[in-house]
Amino acid sequence: MNEGHNDVESARALVFREQVEPEIEVMLRVAMSLTRNRADAEDLVQESLLRAYRALDRFDGRHPRAWLLTIVRHTNLNMQRRTRPDPVGDWDLVRDSRPAFGASTQPSAEDAHLDGVLSEQLSTALAELDVRFRTAVILVDVHDLSYAEAAAVMGVPVGTVMSRLSRGRDRLRRRLGPQTLTPGRFA
Amino acid sequence: MKQSVRQMITCHWSARRIQRYLDADPSAPLTPGEVAKIEAHLAMCEKCTQTAEEHRALHRALSRWPGAPAPDPSSVERLRAFVGNLPDEETP
Repeated sequence: MNEGHNDVESARALVFREQVEPEIEVMLRVAMSLTRNRADAEDLVQESLLRAYRALDRFDGRHPRAWLLTIVRHTNLNMQRRTRPDPVGDWDLVRDSRPAFGASTQPSAEDAHLDGVLSEQLSTALAELDVRFRTAVILVDVHDLSYAEAAAVMGVPVGTVMSRLSRGRDRLRRRLGPQTLTPGRFA
Repeated sequence: MKQSVRQMITCHWSARRIQRYLDADPSAPLTPGEVAKIEAHLAMCEKCTQTAEEHRALHRALSRWPGAPAPDPSSVERLRAFVGNLPDEETP
């Protein structure tokens, strides 16, 4: 390998680092939803990062998060095909997911109501949702993805994400009811 | 009567846009005129204000839902190191 080639590769790696490093956490969060396992999630993200690096020349530099999440989605499907004789859709895996209570940070005092009774009711209500609606809600409301980023993970148009999100949220809202969601307004 | 029919129509119009208004997502922005119309409606409609409050509460609850555990910081560090070692990591 000559010196000029090394310089080009180093510059390429630097551009990649700048684009990708801020997105590693969100890639891991999404990967954990897909794999339900920390070790598998890390493997999935590492493989996705390698594929992204190889595909960097074809990336236009816009919306790196959506680009990376698309790669995570495709990589996950490929890894499933490798390990399962009958591949399942990404989000079929989310269907049976159950909350790991106590896994996140402690809530503030004023959030105690929402994070106590409500989070349990929310888990039940989420589990009852159609997987397509639950996927949209988890990606946008739980993982804080934009509509376009959620569309990249789900492999559907933005309009489909919006429609599924709207229906999922409306079902959750009706299921939980105003007394649970906004008890202060009924005091 | 005319007033209540007009209000019902505005409630229906607002209900179809309330989530886009609250999300303010760059993929599906409301026009300034639509935002002004929704805000004017929320200022005088208790039912739609309640709906908006429920959506806000639902989003807050989902953003703290413990069913989505935070990534392991050591995984994040290993992956940062992996990216930092490219292109060497790419070599089989």
